[in-house]
Amino acid sequence: MSSREADFDCAQRMDAAAYVLDAVEGLEPYREHLSICTTCQAEVAKLQLVVDRLPTTVPPAAAPQALLERVLATVRSEAELLRAAGSLADQPPSRPHRARSHRLSRAGARVAFAACVAVAAAIVINSGSSVRERVTPARVAASIPGAHVSLHQIDGRANLVVSGMPQAPLGKIYEVWLSRASGSLQPTDALFSVTSRGNGSVDVPASLHGVKEVMVTSEPLGGSSRPTSPPLIRIVLHA
Amino acid sequence: MQLVAANDGEAFEVVLERHADAVFSLAYRMCGRHSLAEDVAQEAFLALWRNGARYDSARGSLRSWALRIAHHRAVDTLRRAGVHDRRRTSDDGIEERLQAPESTEGDAIANVVSREVRGVLDELPTEQRRVIELAYFGGFTQTEIASMLDTPLGTVKGRMRLGLEKLEAAFAAGRWSVHELA
Repeated sequence: MSSREADFDCAQRMDAAAYVLDAVEGLEPYREHLSICTTCQAEVAKLQLVVDRLPTTVPPAAAPQALLERVLATVRSEAELLRAAGSLADQPPSRPHRARSHRLSRAGARVAFAACVAVAAAIVINSGSSVRERVTPARVAASIPGAHVSLHQIDGRANLVVSGMPQAPLGKIYEVWLSRASGSLQPTDALFSVTSRGNGSVDVPASLHGVKEVMVTSEPLGGSSRPTSPPLIRIVLHA
Repeated sequence: MQLVAANDGEAFEVVLERHADAVFSLAYRMCGRHSLAEDVAQEAFLALWRNGARYDSARGSLRSWALRIAHHRAVDTLRRAGVHDRRRTSDDGIEERLQAPESTEGDAIANVVSREVRGVLDELPTEQRRVIELAYFGGFTQTEIASMLDTPLGTVKGRMRLGLEKLEAAFAAGRWSVHELA
């Protein structure tokens, strides 16, 4: 089928049950099929309601208080950050960037992520002062659908924050690139990995003046001088 | 939920309070480990918070959406952990079994629904119930299940579909809806 139409004999209708049970390998082909097959859409919608009832059979357990406090602490911090960034989101960094380089190990990424939280807290504290933050969300590749990435520019520094990011493949590390308005693609020594939870952050160790896009690719350990894989993350700074 | 979509942290506290136990219970049932279940529930709630604008009430209750997110996260976690770990029900030991939340009137209704759904599930032919439970609670793919049961993939797909269709028919004949709980 090449258009949105009903095919009551659709052979892939059989996969609807496995799909709603999260038991299909390689979801993308079936999702693509779902986008055009109304028969399978209806089947999935019907069976999803059935599957939604299965959790009611689970023995009840109380969510630990520490878990709730951790979630709420993050939510409050991010809510404040978004509030603070909201009216300032279009303002450029106020001072030239101070170049720094970071090579993050897995443990280092955890530390850096903790540092990022501290930065967020500082913004909350200083939201009424001259500290300005610009948060730019990233576009992520379809191959990493659960990833959330944003570039935080504050006080002349830029920090890339990721969550829900898969581990780089064995022997690979993530590398940050700067695409300049002149058309050149500049490698940086910002290499990073992520925690088992997919969290991480890295300082962007160069001025973003004249940078059109910040990109991230997966590269061999030690980094590359030219990208060896397509961008996974793109942050457009100047269209 | 509109307030959550507008990044209202206080509104999210209400969502968290209302659905935390259900999400954690599912995560714990699937992962069998306290620590993994906490990770899964935390990731699920932060995803709920960060994607609140994508919630569509026409596609189900907020609780259903939260549980779907938690289920996806738990499946991802289980698959990363590998098949061997998934066959273990718990490494925490019985001493770490969690206390059920305090009983309320809502819990009493939920318990009735739970018993009825469990009853309908138990009425399925064993082979159909088994593939559904291995997929939904075990996080196994249909190919893994076919291999584990030494059964053709087509048969596994058929059992999943037949089982869910029988459940759908049974639920359609019931008097209650799980969405009334959310």
